[in-house]
Amino acid sequence: MDHAIKLTFPSDPRYLGVVRGTVERFAAMAGFDEEDCRWITLAVHEALTNVIRHAYHNRHDQPVELGLGERDGGIEVLMVDHGTGVKQEEMCGRDLEDVKPGGLGLHMIREIMNETDYQPLEGRNELRLFKKKGSKTSVGE
Amino acid sequence: MNIATRQSGNSTVVDVQGDIDLYNSPEVRKIILEELKEKKVPRLVVNLTGVRYIDSSGVASLVEGLKVSRTMSSRFMLYGLSPAAREVLELSRLIRVFEVYGTEQEALQAK
Repeated sequence: MDHAIKLTFPSDPRYLGVVRGTVERFAAMAGFDEEDCRWITLAVHEALTNVIRHAYHNRHDQPVELGLGERDGGIEVLMVDHGTGVKQEEMCGRDLEDVKPGGLGLHMIREIMNETDYQPLEGRNELRLFKKKGSKTSVGE
Repeated sequence: MNIATRQSGNSTVVDVQGDIDLYNSPEVRKIILEELKEKKVPRLVVNLTGVRYIDSSGVASLVEGLKVSRTMSSRFMLYGLSPAAREVLELSRLIRVFEVYGTEQEALQAK
């Protein structure tokens, strides 16, 4: 799909707040309620921190492309990087019963979004996320 | 983000203001571990009333603080979670492992 909003920015954590602001406002414009806007923003933020840490190994000068669009009664996010790809089978969130720092981001993304599709391609990695309006995120207690 | 520590009775309070994310969570981690490991404080209370947003790296810093506190036989407490911060801890199933209080008074008076 053609995304209405396209951003390209460096893989520098200084810009995380700027990206969050953009995503949150786009989700609100697309009709998500305040709580869902926070969840979507968190999922995109976590995906971006994974790109910075794992694809670009904390290099802060590499390009990240972000696309935001509306389809099928929801929001689609496309994130593209040109760093190290991860094999699908290596993308495993950690066991939540094991209390330790780290490994939470992927779990959060999968809990929040309805669709998570990661494709390591030739020279680029694409992460496509989709969240449908009305699909509430359940916080497990 | 701003972070500062102060003493209140036998508790050390860490006041955090602003968002805790990948950009600044290393600073939060550094202060917490410094208080626990080097200063060996008996009770560390993290004030999150000024934190609107926390991500998984921020949560990881708190988890690390909790784990170090256990090895140092210190108390590690949180208070003043915003709805967003509470949601993140709930989503990661970690809210139950922390001592969480509503106010500073409750945290300081906790037996």
